[in-house]
Amino acid sequence: MSDHTFLPAWREQSLGRRVFLRVSAASAASVALIAAGCSTTTVTPTPADPYQLALPTGDPGLLYFAYMMALAQTTLYQKVMDAPPTDLTAAERAVFVDLRDHKVVHQQTIRYLIDPTGINQLLPTDFAFSLSKFTLTTRAGVLAAAQQLADLAAAAYPVLLTLFTTSSIPQRTLLLKMSSVQARHAAAVRDLLTPGSFANSDVVDSAGQLLTKTPTEVIAALAPYFAPYVISVAGLAVPV
Amino acid sequence: MKLISLLDQLAATPATAAPAPRRALLAQLGRAAVAALPLGATALSVAAAPTDTSYDAVTQLLLLERTQVALYTQGLAAPGLIPTAQTADFQRMLAHQTQHAALLLKALQDAGAVVPVLPRFDFSGRHSVATNPELFPAVLTSYDAFLALAQQLEDLGVRIYKNYIFIITDPQLLRAFLRIHSVEAEHSAHIRGLRKSRGAVVQHWPSEEDAAIVRPTAAQGLTTAATGGEETGVQYLTPGVPVPFASFLLISTNTAIHDPALAEAFDEPVSSAVAQTALNLFV
Repeated sequence: MSDHTFLPAWREQSLGRRVFLRVSAASAASVALIAAGCSTTTVTPTPADPYQLALPTGDPGLLYFAYMMALAQTTLYQKVMDAPPTDLTAAERAVFVDLRDHKVVHQQTIRYLIDPTGINQLLPTDFAFSLSKFTLTTRAGVLAAAQQLADLAAAAYPVLLTLFTTSSIPQRTLLLKMSSVQARHAAAVRDLLTPGSFANSDVVDSAGQLLTKTPTEVIAALAPYFAPYVISVAGLAVPV
Repeated sequence: MKLISLLDQLAATPATAAPAPRRALLAQLGRAAVAALPLGATALSVAAAPTDTSYDAVTQLLLLERTQVALYTQGLAAPGLIPTAQTADFQRMLAHQTQHAALLLKALQDAGAVVPVLPRFDFSGRHSVATNPELFPAVLTSYDAFLALAQQLEDLGVRIYKNYIFIITDPQLLRAFLRIHSVEAEHSAHIRGLRKSRGAVVQHWPSEEDAAIVRPTAAQGLTTAATGGEETGVQYLTPGVPVPFASFLLISTNTAIHDPALAEAFDEPVSSAVAQTALNLFV
């Protein structure tokens, strides 16, 4: 069927070309648990405030940051798949399936980069990206939410990619390959919500370059959705 | 291209110990290339394999941007080609590509490097020789043909920037390249969306589910450069060590995906040689 049928899980459920699962709210949100005695690459709640999450310093912190952006998007897209608004067309639903799948790949790949063993728990069990502030019962509301998150992540990548200190070109290349897909998502969703609004002056400056956001700006924008958790990016590299 | 590669490789060899000021690398390479040109042509022709360098990167990207500027300029000037509803879209993309070309031109000029002469573009693939075979029919008379070519050039743009990002050492230029890389991706997604709305089987991102854009054999270099290799499901952690996707995209953890999505989730780069072959089709 394709190049990827080596993936056993996909073969198991050959219910047609597309294979996906319903994700319960719990499993979508609680990505992992904090392990006691965790390594420096895991988030640690401070004793003073269990809802304060400080991202690790250095490249692991940058990966965590990218992971959280992906988590926000997969949570939204999964919800849209599970409960699509009635006025979202079949073609648009198909786009959301692709958006969800791409972001699952990104999220899980980044997770693997953070924790190749797959057994450590990256975030507290009750950590979640809350969708309650979005209107997900209408096509317009869903597209507006998707545009907000896709634009935000697209704006984050060009900064993020300059902050890595790793000498590992393949690792940075993986994120570079994700960054243009992220920009494609933003344009696709923008055009669905407002035809012709791709790369417009809201997101591209007068030099023809994408307007960017620093990790601090991105986390500030996402903060209302991660409450009660508060994420600190103080340990991350600062763009010059 | 090869000669310049070799020359700036040589020029780069006596590395400066002190921290170089901004654009110093490019400046050094550019000036060395200019100075060495008359000698280089005969003496150094086959000494080393061509290597991607900043100078090559900027000149190839300038050719790409100039190609896109020319396509959109000619397209917007062709009566009745672009529907009124989408004129603004192409004016916007033309403006962006013009701005990108200006940045690249300035980078070369600031470096004191050779600025390539603006070529004469021919989107029929005839190289401005009427008796040559037409490789890209009806680009300026059929909107679908125009969009197909525009899509491939935008995809190519994403891939060329991607190829060069990590060899750019100048922080300012690196930042600009990353931001332009994303804008090219938005352009491509938009044009793909336009084609989709006109009935083409195409996604907003390169996908194995896209219907092939059929070209004569002699024009195949463009398709190879624009999307060749996009179907790969293999990514690397370190050279030779693939990402074990099968170990973490699992039904049991609700992270299974449909097959084509794995390749779609990563946009691939293109090598400079393959890209140059494609760009040469239009000059």
